[in-house]
Amino acid sequence: MASVSSAEPSRLRTLGRLIGFLRPYRLSLIASIVLAVGSQAAGMAIPWLTGVVIDEAIPDEDAGRLILLVALVAGLGTAKAALMVGRRFIAGRQSLGVEFDIRGALYGRLLRLSYRFFDRHQTGQLMSRATVDLQNVRFFLGYGLIFLTQHVLTVVGVTALLFVIDWLLALIALAITPVLVAVAWRYSHVSHPVLRDVQQRLADMTTVAEESIVGINVVKAFAQERRQEARFRERTEAIFHQSLRATRQQALYMPLLSFLPLLAQAAVLLVGARLVIDGRLTLGSFVAFNVYLLMLVFPLRMLGMWIGQIQRAAASGERIFEILDEPEEIRERPGAQPLQPGRGRVVFEDVTFGYDPERPVLRGIDLEIEAGKVVALIGHTGSGKTTLTALVPRFYDPQAGRVLVDGTDVRELALASLRRAIGVVSQDPFLFSTTVAENIAFGVAGATDAEIEQAARLAQAHEFVAALPEGYETVIGERGITLSGGQRQRIAIARALVLDPRILVLDDATASVDATTESRIRLALREVMRGRTTLIIAHRLSTISLADEIVVLDHGRVAARGTAAELRDTSPLYREIEDHGLVAVGLAPEEFEVSA
Amino acid sequence: MKVHQPGQYGRHVRPSVDDWSWGRTTRRVAVLVRLARPYRLRVVGGVSALLAATAATLAPPILVKIAIDRGIRDSDLELVAWVVAAFLVAGAVGWAAGLAQTYLTSWVGERVLADLRETVFRHLGRLSLGYFERNRTGAVISRLTNDIEALDQLVTEGLTSLVQNTLVLVGSAAILLVLDWRLALATLAVFPLMTVATAIFRRRSTRAYRRVRERLAAVTASLQEDIAGMRVVQAFAREDRSGERFRDVNDRYRAANYETVVLNGLYFPFVDFLASTATAVVLGFGGYLVFDGSLTIGVLFAFIGYLANFFDPVQQLSQLYNTFLAAVAALDKIIDVLEEEPEIDDRAEAAALPRVEGRVRFEHVRFGYGDGPEVLHELDLDVPAGTTVALVGHTGAGKSTIAKLLARFYDPREGRITIDGHDLRDVTQESLRRQLGIVPQEGFLFSGTIRDNIAFGRPDASREDVVAAATAVGAHEFVTRLPGGYEHEVGERGGRLSLGQRQLVAFARALLADPRLLVLDEATSSVDIATERRIEGALRRLLAKRTAFVIAHRLSTIRQADLIVVLEHGRIVEQGTHEELLARGGRYLALYGDWATAVA
Repeated sequence: MASVSSAEPSRLRTLGRLIGFLRPYRLSLIASIVLAVGSQAAGMAIPWLTGVVIDEAIPDEDAGRLILLVALVAGLGTAKAALMVGRRFIAGRQSLGVEFDIRGALYGRLLRLSYRFFDRHQTGQLMSRATVDLQNVRFFLGYGLIFLTQHVLTVVGVTALLFVIDWLLALIALAITPVLVAVAWRYSHVSHPVLRDVQQRLADMTTVAEESIVGINVVKAFAQERRQEARFRERTEAIFHQSLRATRQQALYMPLLSFLPLLAQAAVLLVGARLVIDGRLTLGSFVAFNVYLLMLVFPLRMLGMWIGQIQRAAASGERIFEILDEPEEIRERPGAQPLQPGRGRVVFEDVTFGYDPERPVLRGIDLEIEAGKVVALIGHTGSGKTTLTALVPRFYDPQAGRVLVDGTDVRELALASLRRAIGVVSQDPFLFSTTVAENIAFGVAGATDAEIEQAARLAQAHEFVAALPEGYETVIGERGITLSGGQRQRIAIARALVLDPRILVLDDATASVDATTESRIRLALREVMRGRTTLIIAHRLSTISLADEIVVLDHGRVAARGTAAELRDTSPLYREIEDHGLVAVGLAPEEFEVSA
Repeated sequence: MKVHQPGQYGRHVRPSVDDWSWGRTTRRVAVLVRLARPYRLRVVGGVSALLAATAATLAPPILVKIAIDRGIRDSDLELVAWVVAAFLVAGAVGWAAGLAQTYLTSWVGERVLADLRETVFRHLGRLSLGYFERNRTGAVISRLTNDIEALDQLVTEGLTSLVQNTLVLVGSAAILLVLDWRLALATLAVFPLMTVATAIFRRRSTRAYRRVRERLAAVTASLQEDIAGMRVVQAFAREDRSGERFRDVNDRYRAANYETVVLNGLYFPFVDFLASTATAVVLGFGGYLVFDGSLTIGVLFAFIGYLANFFDPVQQLSQLYNTFLAAVAALDKIIDVLEEEPEIDDRAEAAALPRVEGRVRFEHVRFGYGDGPEVLHELDLDVPAGTTVALVGHTGAGKSTIAKLLARFYDPREGRITIDGHDLRDVTQESLRRQLGIVPQEGFLFSGTIRDNIAFGRPDASREDVVAAATAVGAHEFVTRLPGGYEHEVGERGGRLSLGQRQLVAFARALLADPRLLVLDEATSSVDIATERRIEGALRRLLAKRTAFVIAHRLSTIRQADLIVVLEHGRIVEQGTHEELLARGGRYLALYGDWATAVA
C-alpha cells in the first residue's frame, strides 16, 4: 500500500487530478463562475448606490433622482437574485454530476480489482473512502471551487472599492484581514484532527454497542450486563471528553472570529468620522464604506476555512486515487479468446503461489484432473486446498507455472467465459439481500423460473424455499428473513448449479447442515457432479466418499493421490482422517438402512 | 439459532413527527428536561451568556447610528471616541459571552447525550431476549448510534441557534420599530411574503431531504453489500450487471438530490431578492422621510445594518427545521425503547437461587413466542442432577426453545420449570444465570484479549485460573502460539481467530465460570481434524460433573449422553439412552441412519 505522505507537491498534484474530474463540466463551470461574478457585481453596486443616495439625492432633495436610484437598486437586486438562481441550478447539477462520476469510477474500479485487493482491505475501510472521502472531495469540487472563486472575487472587488473610496481608511480596515484569515485557517487546522478523533471514538462506542447487542444472549447467559455497561460507559465518556476538547476549541476561536472584524469597524468609525468632519470624505461614502466592510467579513472568514477544506479534500483525494490507481492485477489479455467447448479437464503445471510471494502456499504443484472426475482435496488447515481451487477461476494468478482448463492457459481466456464455466460454492457462502430467486439466478441474467426451481430442487433447497412466506420471492438477509447456515449453503449450491458449469468447486459445502439434510445433499451432489469435473475440499469422510480420487495436500505440495483403498496403505494423513471418521461412527453402520 | 417466527408480532406503528398532541409533546420535553436537570446551573449560565451575546451582536448598527447622527453631524469627535469605546466594549462582551455560551451549552449538550446513551444501554441490558429477537439488530444499534447523533445536532447547536436566531429576529424588528415605526412597517411589508415562501420551502424540502436520505441509504447499503460480496460478483462474472445496478441506484440518489438543489436554488435567491427589495424600500421611503427632516441619515444606516441581521436568521431557521425534524423522530424512537417494559423481570419477592445440585424439571410446559403459535406442547421432562441430556430432532422441533426457557430468556405460557425444586420465576435472574453457562453455536467472542474473553463470566479470575481453564479444554497450546499469548487481541467479535479457536475459547469461558448447569448449542461448523479432536476432548471435560443440555449435532456427543431426548414439532417423542432408543427402532433409529451415512 502506498504510504500516506503529505508532501506538498503530491498534494498539489492530487488537487490537479481532482480538478481533472471537472473536465466534462468545463462549460457549466465557466457559466456558473460568470453568473457568480455577475451576481456579486450586482450585489456590490448596491452599497455604492446607497452612498450616492445619501450624498446626492438626499441633500439636493431630488425626488426624481431618488426614485431612479431606488429603481436601480431594486433592479440590481432582482438581477442578482436571478443570476443566483441560474448559478445554483448550474453549479448544483455539476456538483452532483461530479459526485456521481467519482462514485461510479470508484465502484467500477472495485469491480475490476482482484481477490488479493479485497484480502488486503476491509469492507469498512473501502466504504469510508466511498462515503466520507468522497464527501470531502465532492464538497471541494462541487461547491468549494465556486464559493472560493466567488469569495476571492468579493474580497478583491470590495478591497478595490474600499481603496477607491478612501485609501487611508482602506489600509486601516484591511490591516486586520491577515489576522482574520490566519485565525480562521488555524481553527480549521487544529479542529480537524480533534473532530476526526471524535469520529474514531464514536466508532469505538459503536463496536461495543454492536457486540453487546449481537451477543446479548452471551451477556445475559453469563449475567454480565453490568460489566458491559461499564465498558460502554467508558467508551461514552471517551466521546464526551473528546467532544469537550472540540467544544473548547470552538469556544476559543468562533467568538474571536466574530470579534476581530469589529476592531476594523471600530477603527474605521474613529478615523472615518474624523475624515467626514474634516470634509475629506462624504457621509454617503462613509456609509458605503461601512456596508462594504460588512460584506468583507464573511468571505474572509470562509477563506480561512476553505484552506482547511482544500487540505482535507487533497488528503481524501489521495485516498480515493489510491483505489483508482490500484493496478488491475487479474486482467484479460488483449485478444483473449472465449473458452472453447470441452469437458473440463484441469491441469496444474508446476504451480507456485503465495498470497505473500515470499511465503508460498503452493510449491510446484503438478496435478492433472481428468474431465468428469470428482476429486477430493484433503489436508490440514493451511495446506493450500482452498488456494489451489482459487487458481482455476483465476481469482489469483500463480507466480510460476500455469493452470490449464481444457488445454488452454487460463490467462489466455476471456475472464467471463472462464468464470461462467466454473461453479463455486464457498465454505461460508455470501448471499445478497434480495429475493431467493434472484440469489439463485445470480450468475445467469435470463434464468427462467423453471431453471431456478430445477437448480433449487437439485440442491435440496426447493422444499424449504417453498415453505418461506413468499416462496422464491422471499427477501433474505439484512432486509429480510434470516436463513440458517445449512439453508444458505443449499442456496449457494443452487446458485452454482444454475450456471450448468463444466467445473464445480465445492469448499466443504455441506459443513453446517444437519445430518439428515446432508445425506440428502450428498445424494443430490452425486447427481449434479455427473458429467462435470468436481473439486471438493473435504473435511470429513462422508464428503470424501463422493470422490473418484483423493488428493492429499501437505504444506503446499501433493503428498499423495489415489483411491481411498490405495491411500489407506500409503498416506498416514489419510489414515488419520479415516480413523477419526470411523471413531465417530463407532459400531459398523451396516445394520442401518440408508433412509434418506 | 434464529427462526423467523418471533419477528412476526409486536411491531407497532411509530407515531409520526407531526404528532404534536399534548401527551406526545410533554413526553418528549419531559425526557429532555429530566436529562438536563442535574446540570441546571450550567444551563442557566449558558442561557444568560446567550442573552448577553445576542444583545452584543445587536449593538453595532445602533452605535454607528449615534456616531453619524450626533458625532459626525455635530462634529463632536469626543462623542465618536466614546461610541467607538462602547463599540469595543460591546465587541468584548460579545466575545466573552460567546465563549462562555459556546462552552457551557455544548458541555451540557454533550453531557446529556452521554447520559442518554448510557441510560438507553442500561435499559437495553434489562430487556428480555424476546425484544432483541423481535427487533432487527441493526435497528437496535441505531438507537445508540445514529439516533443519538441526530439528537446531537439539535442539542449542542440547534437549540442555541434556534434561541439566538429568534432573539436576533425579534430584537432587530423591535429596534427597527423603535427607531422609526413608519419605515419599519414599510420595510417589514416583505415579511408576509417571506413567511409564505419559507412555509412552502420548509414543507417541500422536508420531503425532498427525506428522499435524499433514503436514497443515500440505498447507495450506502448497495456499496456495503457489493464490496462485501465482491468475490461472489467476480466469481459469477456479474461485474456488468452489478455495475448497471449501482449506476441506477447512484443516479436515483443524484435525481433526489437535484430536487433539493432546485428548492434551495429558488428559495435562497428569493430571500435575497426580498432583502434587496427591503433595502430599496429603506432607501426610497427613508430618503423621502429624510427630505422632510423626520428621519436622520444615521437611522437610515442603522436600518440597512439591521436588515442584514433580519434576513440571515430566517435562512438559518429554515435550515434548522430539517435538523429539528430528524431529531424529533430520533427522540421518539429512543423514547419507545425507554418505555419498553422487560417481559422477564425479577419478582419483588424473588430470592437468590442457592447453589444447586442441578435437578431440572419441566412440568406441563406450554410455550410460544409472543402471540405466535404454540411451539412447545405440554412438555414434561425430568433430568437428574449431573446428567448430560442430548436434545435431538429436526430444525424447528423446539430444541433451542427448551434451552432458552431453561435460561429464563422466556417464561412458559403454562406449567413451570424448576431447578432443585425452585421455580425459575421465584429466583433472581442474576443468581440463576451465575450458575448457568451457555456455549452458543458460533462461539461468540467480544473484542478484547483472550484472557478477557475467558474470564468473561468471572472477571476477577486470576491468570492461573484462566490458563488452567484454557489448558483443560486444550486451548492453551494455540493461545501461547499467538502473538502476545493470553493478551492477544481477538478483534471485533473475535474475528482474528478461526472458528475452531473461537469455539475453544468459548469452552474455556464456560469452564472457568464453572456453572452448575450448562447449555451447549453444538456447532457443526467445519474445523480441521486436529481441532475437531481437541474440541471433543474439551467437551468431555466441560460436561463432566454438571447437568448439561446439549443441542446435539455430533454423533459422538449423542452417544455419550446419559439421556437422549428426541423432539418432533414441540413434543418429546422418545427418550432414553442410545442403546435403549436403538433397540426401540423408532424415530431415533431413522435419525441415526442419517448420521451413520453422514460419517461413513
